[in-house]
Amino acid sequence: MSFVTQFVTLAGRVVPRRVSAVTYGVIAGLLAVGVQVFFGVKPPPAYGICVACHTRDVIDWLANHLLGTRWEIAPVSLILPLLTTVGMLIGAYAAARRNNERRRVALGGHWRSFVCGILVMNAAIVALGCPTRLLLLSAYGDFLAVLAVGGVIAGILAGTFLLARGIVS
Amino acid sequence: MVPALVTLVMGIILGYLAQRSRICFIGGLRDFVLVRDTELLKGAVAFFITAWLAFSVAGALGLVDWRAPAYAGGNPTQETIVGNDRQTAEPATGGLGVGLPILATAVIAGLGVGLFSTLANGCPTRQHVLAAQGVRDSVFYLGGFYLGVVLYNLVTKPLLALIF
Repeated sequence: MSFVTQFVTLAGRVVPRRVSAVTYGVIAGLLAVGVQVFFGVKPPPAYGICVACHTRDVIDWLANHLLGTRWEIAPVSLILPLLTTVGMLIGAYAAARRNNERRRVALGGHWRSFVCGILVMNAAIVALGCPTRLLLLSAYGDFLAVLAVGGVIAGILAGTFLLARGIVS
Repeated sequence: MVPALVTLVMGIILGYLAQRSRICFIGGLRDFVLVRDTELLKGAVAFFITAWLAFSVAGALGLVDWRAPAYAGGNPTQETIVGNDRQTAEPATGGLGVGLPILATAVIAGLGVGLFSTLANGCPTRQHVLAAQGVRDSVFYLGGFYLGVVLYNLVTKPLLALIF
């Protein structure tokens, strides 16, 4: 835990309290391309950030090694899976702790969130990745990802309509 | 080994910044439609433009291999086939080269991602941040996320294999 404390202190000193969404977008974009170009996070291409696929790689890697299954894994994750999502949990936890935003909150939609998690994961794997990677792939020049982003936009509009009209509360 | 460690560090940085910026690519469009708030939407656009420019610069410097290796085309006996990615293993910048069913699948699956992420109140990135922050709903979401991988392998993939 002392590592966490040290990291939290350091991060609190380096990162300002408020970070704009644009700053996040620029840094994430540079990192996503940077890890592919300089650190060999490929193949597949444009795989630098993908919350869904990297989670899939971790779980399938564990299943393949522990249970002897042969579930699909991205080639880059064969030896050790990409740990982006694990890092994200650590980083977000540190940021929340540093700024006293860690609270146990229950919004009351447990099982809906659970089902949505299942559905989003399945749809995301079929659609080449989570929204972040779809944008990344589009930037890479993959036409299929552009189509999928179109689908995502339509889905958000449909979902917002359902929520705004109170059809789904 | 190196990719795993690099992405772990990258994930920590992204998680920290995501918590501070409340970024959510799904929430960007939702907020714009609902209350005309463009803050989060600008983040998504900035991500796309930055990645596009970075890929262009890296490509001009010869650092990007636009023709990705056809790892799935040659010998798909190993467990290294990435979901739908066998299509992107082809030249990424080239023409379509894929049939209508695959195009339709991409759009429909994208639709599912957008719809269910909106109903869950945020994209996967945001859910990770909220779960780390202590929001119980997002912890449940992550549980579903992990179970979803198992269900994909056991149910969705065989179903898709029937169609294609």
